[in-house]
Parts: sequence; C-alpha cells; structure tokens
Amino acid sequence: MTRLLLLLLTSSATLLVFGLWIPLKAVLAQEMLELAWAENQARQTDSRPWPWADTWPVARLAMPVLNDSMIVLAGTHGESLAFGPGQLTGDDNNSGAVVIAGHRDTHFRGLKALETGNEIRLQGRNGRWRSYRVENARVVDSRSELIDTQQLPDGTLLLVTCYPFNSVDPGGPLRYVVRARISGDRYPREQIDTVAGI
Amino acid sequence: MMLSTSFLRFYSPVFERCPAPGKCAALSETRCEYVRVRSAPPLALFAPASRKGPGQAVHGLPVKSFRSSPMALHGFGKSRALASVFTRFQKLNSRRVWEGISLWFAVLLMLFVHPLYAEANETDNVGQLHFVDGQGQWQEPALVLDSEFDIRVSGLIADTRLLRSFRNTSDQWREGVFVFPLPEKASVYGLTMKVGERTIEGKVQPREVARQTYEKAKSAGKHAANVEQQRPNLFTARLANIPPGETVSVELKYQQPVGFQAGVFELSIPTTLTPRYVPGAPIQSLSDQWQSGWALPTTQVADADAISPFTVNPGDVAGDSHRASIELLIDAGLPLEAVSSPSHQLATSRDGQSVTVRPAEGEILMDRDFVVRWRPLAGREPSAAVFHQSWQGEDFLLAMLVPGQTGKSVLPRELVFVIDTSGSMAGESIRQARSALQAGLQTLTSRDRFNVIQFNSQTHALFMQPEIATGNNLARARQYVDRLRADGGTEMAPALSLALKDSEGSGEETPRVRQVIFITDGAVGNEASLFRQIRQQLGDQRLFTVAIGSAPNRHFMREAARWGRGTYTAIHSPSDVSGPLQRLFAAMESPVLTDIQVQWPGQETGIESFPRRPGDLFQGEPLIHAVRGVAAMGELKVSGRLPGGRNWLKTLDLQQAAPGTGLHRHWAREKIDSLQDEARVSGQEPDKAAITELAVAHGLMSAYTSFVAVDATPARTTETPLASDNLPTLRPAGSQAGMLRYPQTATAAPLLIALGLVGLMFSVAIVLLQRRAFP
Repeated sequence: MTRLLLLLLTSSATLLVFGLWIPLKAVLAQEMLELAWAENQARQTDSRPWPWADTWPVARLAMPVLNDSMIVLAGTHGESLAFGPGQLTGDDNNSGAVVIAGHRDTHFRGLKALETGNEIRLQGRNGRWRSYRVENARVVDSRSELIDTQQLPDGTLLLVTCYPFNSVDPGGPLRYVVRARISGDRYPREQIDTVAGI
Repeated sequence: MMLSTSFLRFYSPVFERCPAPGKCAALSETRCEYVRVRSAPPLALFAPASRKGPGQAVHGLPVKSFRSSPMALHGFGKSRALASVFTRFQKLNSRRVWEGISLWFAVLLMLFVHPLYAEANETDNVGQLHFVDGQGQWQEPALVLDSEFDIRVSGLIADTRLLRSFRNTSDQWREGVFVFPLPEKASVYGLTMKVGERTIEGKVQPREVARQTYEKAKSAGKHAANVEQQRPNLFTARLANIPPGETVSVELKYQQPVGFQAGVFELSIPTTLTPRYVPGAPIQSLSDQWQSGWALPTTQVADADAISPFTVNPGDVAGDSHRASIELLIDAGLPLEAVSSPSHQLATSRDGQSVTVRPAEGEILMDRDFVVRWRPLAGREPSAAVFHQSWQGEDFLLAMLVPGQTGKSVLPRELVFVIDTSGSMAGESIRQARSALQAGLQTLTSRDRFNVIQFNSQTHALFMQPEIATGNNLARARQYVDRLRADGGTEMAPALSLALKDSEGSGEETPRVRQVIFITDGAVGNEASLFRQIRQQLGDQRLFTVAIGSAPNRHFMREAARWGRGTYTAIHSPSDVSGPLQRLFAAMESPVLTDIQVQWPGQETGIESFPRRPGDLFQGEPLIHAVRGVAAMGELKVSGRLPGGRNWLKTLDLQQAAPGTGLHRHWAREKIDSLQDEARVSGQEPDKAAITELAVAHGLMSAYTSFVAVDATPARTTETPLASDNLPTLRPAGSQAGMLRYPQTATAAPLLIALGLVGLMFSVAIVLLQRRAFP
C-alpha cells in the first residue's frame, strides 16, 4: 500500500514538474532570446540563441494593451513554439502578410483579451516598429480552413493560437485568429542596443 | 520573482472566463455547486463520507475529499496521550501544512477541472463547421471517392469511360459535391448513374433546368446526379441521397483528341488541379454562409467559389479515397515503337498493333496528371490521315495533315521570358521553371535581344528594355533566375502587358521577330479576360506557353498560346524538361506554315468546317480539321506559305478515309468553341441559344448545358436529414501548400499539471485517511 502510494505520489509529482516545466521554459527562453535578438539587430544576422537551436529571433511583438512584449522566432515547428511565438510568413521589409502563431498556454495566453482597435506593434530586425490595429478575432477549424496567404492583403497581421483557451486537450482542432491591419502610425527607429563585445 | 509573476500571468485568469452570455447559465451552475460545497458546514459533509470509507470519500468532486481533512484533524486528538507536547505541536503543524497544501491543490484542481465544463459547452458554438459532425467530432470526409478510367484510343480520338464512385462511410444520408478536372479538349457526352444493380441514364438539359431538376429530386429524396461545366476543363459533379454505408456511382463518357507533335502521340489525364488564384476584390454578400470552395466570388471571377475546391494532403482523406485505376487501350492502327510516361511507371502488354497500358503501381493517387506518350516505328509516322463517320444521315470527316519539316528562320529575335513566381509555383514547380528558363537563355545568340520578367502579386523585369544577349547580360540573367523564389499572388495581367508592350522605336533597321515565352502553371480563375488581353495586345508578336507542375491548367496554356499565335508545351517532371523544351525552341525558330487555306470538295455549298481559321503551324505540328456534310469522296486541298514566301500545296484523297467514331462530337465541340471565340472577338455574349441547341442535338456538355440523371422512386424519406459533403482534391505532387495549415499551438502543460495535481491530491487524501484510520 505504501509502495503504491509512493508510486502514485512520485508519478504525479513528476507529471506536475513536467507540466510546470513547459511554462517555465517558455519564460526562461524569452530571457535568452532577448539577448539573441539584441545581437541579431546589432549584427543584422540570424544568430541562434543557443548553439543547438533550430530557429532564431526574427521580430519583437508588443501588445501594449496587455503590457506584454515577446520575441518572435522563425518557423512554427513544435520545438520553436516552446520558446516563443513563431512567424509562419512575412518578412522584414513590410511586404505581404505576417502570420505569427503561439501557444495558448504560454505566450499567446493573453490573446483573448485583445479587442477590436487595440494596438499591436511589431519590430523587425531593422529596428523599425510597425503598428497594427486589431480588426477582428474569430474561431476557425484548422481541419477545414487553411490560411490562404495569397488572399491576405498586404499589411495584414494574423496572430494564431489554439482555442478554447482553457482547454486541457493539446491536440484540439480549433484556432483563435486575431486579425490586425497596419495603421499609419510610425515610430522613430529605436536605438539598437549593442551587446558588449560586438 | 519575475518568474513567479509571469507564471501567474499565464495561469491566473483561467477560471474567470465566461465565453458568451448564453453559456453563462451552464457555467454558473457548475460554479454554484463549487460554492455550495465550500460553504457547507464541515460536519455535514464529513459524516456520510466517513461512513462510506476512503474509497468513496473522494468520489465525485474532489473537493469533498479535501473538505474531509479538517475533520481528520479532530480525529487526530486520539494520539495525544502517546506523544510528547513538542512532537504533538510538530505533528499538528505538519498536519496543518498538509491541510494547507491539499487545500491549495484542491483549489488549483478546481481551476483546471472547471475549463473542462467550459470546453464541453463551447465546442458546439463555433459556427458552421465542415467535416465536423453534430458532436463537434472531427470526421474525415464521409464520402470515399474511387475513380476508374477506361480509355480507348482509336486513331486521333481517345474515348473514356470515367466511373466515379462515392462510398458513404457515415450513418447519415449524404450529398456529395466534387469539383474535378477533365482534359482541356474533352467533350462530355454521357452520364449514367449506378445505384446498386440499377443504372439510370442521364439527359442533357440547359444548365439551369438541369440544376432545378436535380434540386427537386434531391429534396424529394430521390437518387440524382448532376454534372456541370465550370470551365472547359473543370467540372462539378453532384450526387444526392447516397444511403449510409452504400455506394452510388456516376459514369461519365467523354472523348478528347489525342495530341500529336513531332511524331509523338500524347494523352494526358488530369486527376487534380492546382488551386487557382482569384484576382479582384471579393464581393461581400453571403460571407456567413458555408461556401463550397475556399475562394469568395470576386469582381473579376464571379464563380470563384465553384472553381476552388479545398486542397488537402493525401493523409487527410481516407486511405482508400482519391485513388484512380486507369486502363488505356491504344489501337493506333500502326506499329508502335515505344510507350512511355513522364509521370508514372507503366505496365504495358501488347497484342498485335494494340497496346494495353496500366500504371505499374495499380491504383494511382490522384495528385498529378497521368501522361502517356507513344511513338510509331521510325519511318512509319503518319503524315496524313482521314477518318469518316456518318451520324444521323450526315457525313463527318476528320483530317490530319503534317507539313514536312523545313528550313529555319534567319531573322534576329527579341525574346521575352515571363516566369510565374506566385505561391502556387512553390516547390518542385519553381525548380522546373527555373531550369526551363535557363535552357531558354542558352538558345540565345549574340544577335538576339532578351529580357526576363517575373510576376507574382507584383511584376518585375530584369532590364528596363530588352538587351542584347551579351555574355555579361546573360550572366546577370542567370543569376537573376537562380534567385527566383515563389511566393504571393498570380496577377498575370500586368505581366502580360509589360511583356507584350511593343518596343517600337528602338532605332533598328532590321525587323526583329518578337516572341514571348510564358512559363507558368496557369493557376488563375480569370482565364477569359486574359485571353481577351492577349488578343488585344499581341500585335505581330507571338506568345508561347510552357506549362509547369504536376497539374497545370492546360486549358489556359493551350488557349493562351492559340490567342498568342504560338504553341504550348508541358513539362511534367524535372527529368522531362529538356525534351519538350528542345522541341519548343526548335519550333520557335519559325512557323513552318502560315496563311493556311483548307479547301474541302464542295466548299461553296455552305458546309461547315472547323477550326474556321487554322492558326500557323510550327515544326512537327499537325493540322487537324473537322467537317460536316462532306462525303468521303473527292480531294481535300490544303495550301499555305512556307518561310521565305514559297507556296505549299498538298492534296488528300478522301476516298481512303478510315472509319472513325465520335467525329460528330468533335465537330460539334469545335463549333461550340468557334462560337465562343467569335463572341470573345466581338466582345459580346456568346450565342447561348445556338450553343445550347447544338449541345443538346449532339448530346454534349457545354457551358450552358449539363447532364442530370434522376431515379424514378424516392429512396430517402423527407424526414431523414441529408448532409452535404464537398469533397476536397489532392494537393498536386511536389507543390507546396500555397495555403498554410494552422499550426498546432497548444502544449500539454495544462493536462500534465491537472493530472499531477489530481494524483497528488489522491495521494494526500489517502495518506490523511490512513493516518486517521490507523493512528
């Protein structure tokens, strides 16, 4: 009985630790990405945040309403999303639509609080901020709907995360898509911090 | 500190959410329960729990088990006498700590259990979803599609029976809607619906009438089938009232002319389509309604939703769905040297002069065109052929004539390469296109001028003006081509304008032959307006098209080349680039025969022959002409002009005509095309009545006539619901999804945490109970 109990205790504790490790990793990784991002901006290269990383920072996403800002990584494979939101499409020079996806349990948890008209800002590697205004948010079924990048007008930003937000099922088909349009607001180019030694 | 606040930020607001006003009632119920348990006096709860024992104390809401713990504290008093005051305090303390922990666990657990209710309530509130049943469960398309092509080639015409079977794997009645491609010159002339053992013949009706007949039968619960033409090479099949667990099939009969170029016959059978780009602004009318396609109607393409079936990966449909079995019987009437395919491995068996061809793998996946080529024995290539058929008392003749190969042009050229770098070209296609373009650059001599234009959403040219093909310019062009990436839309019109822009006044005395090579997959929805543009802007230039990819829009390629007075070439695979291109570049050197006049015997008496104005012929191309009302006697005279101005004349003895089949349909189809061409040239609406009449008389499908088949007796009672399934098509092999899948954006963290917490709570509860029971 005691053994069984012990087994139950340890296994649940392990599960809990693994469960807590995921959000912890998400937070820790963002800290490390900050460094890599600063370096990327300074050098104008794609440097990897850690040597074995298969992705690199491509943008900074800020949601002033949520008082939140995060580093966006290239690509959206499972590993990269654990560390930060991933950029599916879009490039630095303001052409085409930008699609960014993030985990609803970690970085994009705050997405549901975004409302029409809220501001979202995106900083490319060149240090220039672009400002977007939220147009709408909708729930889509990922099995029947695809992101048609060709149909998206230029200057569109899509933020994608899983839905419902408080579900425990990691493989659900529904996605929450926030659609934002570029607004005229321009921001002066920020002074790029250079990392010591560069 | 930073970490813990972030953590709270991620997790704290979970339980505060109430998704929609309507859902709040259900949610507050769960919450009420939760509050009631918390506020109930500990004793009242504890008493039954203690009687039932530990196993059931934690049954139901886990809250109950933690509520029992304060009571366990009272029981703990028994051991008081045995313990020292210090240990007693310590134990009491530890007990309190445990209590505290379990209480927090319980609260946390509630936070995680609560969303489960919320989720259960929410799933059916996300709008009309396709492929999702009433319970919000993901389902593969309920209909499994199976296709059988049975093709017979005799002479110049291939006759196909295409059986499409829709197997309903669900327990509901279904309607199946499938948008599919057919060969670009296909004339559909028959439809048969097969329900079990019975077959129901379809009829040709005017398009709207056929649709009404179908809808009426559908709501009456009868088996019904309807096939409509959306584009000359794109059709929609609808099949109503497929019973659960059963199969209903539609058999289509169509014929197509066999391609013949440079001594090689070619037949291509498209099985899927590259998603078409739809330019123009969307017409926002009924955006809330479920669309049958992924594209909304736009100002330029009003039927966009009808030509944009969903494109999925083979893994997204049932394992045995979207397969085709193909059997091709070639009875060419002359000994064949080789039968080959650039797209599939073939298994061939010969029986005298006829050859049976099947794909070696058996059933093929419908993700690319099936292309077969056959070549007559060297020296036995036909240079002329005549076929005759009498149908309903009228004579129909089909003649083919291949002019001999003649000299080359000597004029310097101005070549403009236009390459499509839109998103639909991404993947294998852009690689093929790049190598095609590189091959084209190699044919340039230092006397030629050239330019490279790429287009997607924008158009970009390498040079402002066409430049002389010097080594330096060519090197720049090679580099430019190597860097081409495929992304974005397919805005073809501005690119065509730029390419066809006349560069008059370049100050040269020798005239240049201006040619445009257009390399694309033709994945556009506004074909008609582009043809019009080509016609208007062409001038004395020539437009040649090179089709790229596993499933190009051959209708667009062929017609664009025809309106551009050029020829069209298709590349099927990376290994297939050089052969077709060499033929194209050879052909581009100069047209072999221009100014062609075809004279049938008795031309004066108003017989109709098509095509009315044969275009120019290039090297290796045959002239194919169909006529009605000419008996198989007399002589056919064909005259034209060779490069250099010499005249060319050939006569063909019609008495040697071989018997043929389906000639009247070929003739009717040519006449329909010709009527539509005339309308395009004059900028008016096509003569709908004449086309409809012609199509009905010859039993043909057209833009204005459809096939419909209706069963006599209803099969489904009107009370039983009928669900509709839009079958997707497969993504062409080698292409990259132009449309992105939504990525997986959730982690297992909440699940793991919830499981961990539940487990820990169980253990703590058991520990506490054990302590109480055995002090």
